[in-house]
Amino acid sequence: MKIIELVLAILFISCAVSAAAQVAEKKSLTLEGANTVITGAMAEAEKLNAPGGVIAVVDDGGNLMALERIDGTFAAGANISIGKAKTAALFKKPTKFFEDVIKNGRTSMVALQDFTPLQGGVPLVVDGEIVGAVGVSGAASAQQDEELAIAGASALMESPSADMSAAPVTYIDSGKVSAAFAKGMPLTEVANYKVHASRRTGPGVAEVHTKDTDIVYVLEGSATLVTGGTVVEGKTAAPDEIRGREISGGEPREIKPGDVIIIPAGVPHWFKDVKGPVLYYVVKVS
Amino acid sequence: MKKIISILLLVLAVPAALAAETETPVKPVLTLSAAKKAVEAAEKEAARRGATVVIAVVDDGGQLILLERLDDTQVASVEVGIGKARTAAIFRRPSKVFEDQIREGRVAALALPGATPLQGGIPIIIDGKVAGAIGVSGNTPQEDEEIAIVGASAVSETETSGEKQ
Repeated sequence: MKIIELVLAILFISCAVSAAAQVAEKKSLTLEGANTVITGAMAEAEKLNAPGGVIAVVDDGGNLMALERIDGTFAAGANISIGKAKTAALFKKPTKFFEDVIKNGRTSMVALQDFTPLQGGVPLVVDGEIVGAVGVSGAASAQQDEELAIAGASALMESPSADMSAAPVTYIDSGKVSAAFAKGMPLTEVANYKVHASRRTGPGVAEVHTKDTDIVYVLEGSATLVTGGTVVEGKTAAPDEIRGREISGGEPREIKPGDVIIIPAGVPHWFKDVKGPVLYYVVKVS
Repeated sequence: MKKIISILLLVLAVPAALAAETETPVKPVLTLSAAKKAVEAAEKEAARRGATVVIAVVDDGGQLILLERLDDTQVASVEVGIGKARTAAIFRRPSKVFEDQIREGRVAALALPGATPLQGGIPIIIDGKVAGAIGVSGNTPQEDEEIAIVGASAVSETETSGEKQ
């Protein structure tokens, strides 16, 4: 009996393996993605003051996913835009390529079925894969049709959901975090935010970060934190960073473990008195 | 003298304007923003029912203004959805009318040029005129039509339905 089970299990595993070899995975465009393309092309139409335009988005099989026709655009533009998008998707090239090939003498190419070799269709490429195409018709010229299509296609490539899905996750284990707090040092610093494990044993200088907003969470110790007012003898110590001896005016606060303080960019702040080592977690957002 | 001329001009201009109105009457035109309103309402209704459909809005000439294919909808519904909308627009009645006619034995209705005689296309009526239509495809014919009616009602002045009067 056991042998039968084992044989079945082996058969099952080998089936699964062969299925994996026969089926590849590919990205597919969602309606949300298609609408991102349309919004991008529409914004460009407005920017260029286009007299009209129909924007069509098709999937990798050339099937229509979404279409919008700007008020007043000639009606035939609807089918032409779909044709351009379909051609760009199924032939995996901008339609201008085929318009040029035909113009340069290969007239017989117009005999192809289901083929709209007119400038204004552009494939949608995400991570090197063609997921569909956008076609535009009805703007000021074939050139402008293509400009709108390119604007739509780049809106998809720049959309955060496209890039962010592959962004790396940062993991800092507790040992490293404790070690950082022991010295007081940054945990991570990237373009749009910084995370610091801060430690203070004595009073600090008055500081202004002109670009960073500090979000502070106090973990240990207590201190008098002064915010607002004006920095005395302030000097630019680093780019976007002003430091001075102290703050005149300003509002003092006693801060203790568990407190959260948010200091917007540009607001002076100063650790005036520090009782024992103060440990606080700061996120600096710029 | 001047007054006489201006009166003459006025007298001449009035019939010209009248003639223009009889020769080229004004008709309501479905805008992209109205089409968006219809699709939005239909999409909401489809989501409520968990239906995957294509929603198409065409103008009074049967040409596409706006289309959305909800994620995971069968692709064949694109052409069917547009066809239903075009039928409702150019024949100025719900596409179900033709499906009923054929079912009841009028097979000749299949030969109507430009018609997709399938339930799910509903005219959009503005100022008493058919300004366009909405077509829905992807689910059961009954549900397709119900979703189309919700979309059309968002912009139509009158409730429209494919039910026989």
